[in-house]
Amino acid sequence: MKLNYLFPNKFKKIGWFILIPSAILALVILIFEYQPSFLDFKLPAIFISELFGDTKLFGIVTNNILNDIVGILIIISSLLVAFSKEESEDEYISKIRLESLVWAVYFNYGILLVSFLIIYDISFLWVMLFNMFTILIFFIVRFNWQISKLKKSANYEE
Amino acid sequence: MKNSIKVERAKKNITQAELAKLAKVSRQTINAMELGKYVPSTVLSLRLAQIFEVEISEIFTLEDSDWD
Repeated sequence: MKLNYLFPNKFKKIGWFILIPSAILALVILIFEYQPSFLDFKLPAIFISELFGDTKLFGIVTNNILNDIVGILIIISSLLVAFSKEESEDEYISKIRLESLVWAVYFNYGILLVSFLIIYDISFLWVMLFNMFTILIFFIVRFNWQISKLKKSANYEE
Repeated sequence: MKNSIKVERAKKNITQAELAKLAKVSRQTINAMELGKYVPSTVLSLRLAQIFEVEISEIFTLEDSDWD
């Protein structure tokens, strides 16, 4: 009847199934700076800015693709978790979804604004790294929390 | 906005879950409407009126605060 840009309900489970191991793997990679050499590849790039070198358009770079793979998995899986329909996705759930999304955007940029004021230079790379994913994570946490609160509050009848 | 969903439901002698099924929404939505926490869309209001076999204005009443 209406277009709502949401995935079918079953994708939510699939999303969690990919998101949890990917997130754990991502933290392990970050902490141990794990870059297995068999994942080193020469790849075409459309913008290259070398640390102490030139900046150029188009070229070939050598890159370890493990972090790219994990990043892609986290983004796709968190999109599935965030934007799959609930079992009974009705207009009230949609309203909660919208409110949670607005909340997540404010919260995410609130943290980013504070980070601008208290974190500088190379350290700010960490903020940018996490900020790529936090907007979706904040939304997922907020929305699922609201839904579980709703289910609890509706447990009474009459 | 006030509504008499709970009263109409009692007249029909159906539970929140049964009404939810008839109106094709979740039970939480029925619950939230009865508690005045959620104002339904026109479509859902019309569905409820049809289920209860009454006019829509018999279920929903505007309050002064709805004009603010």
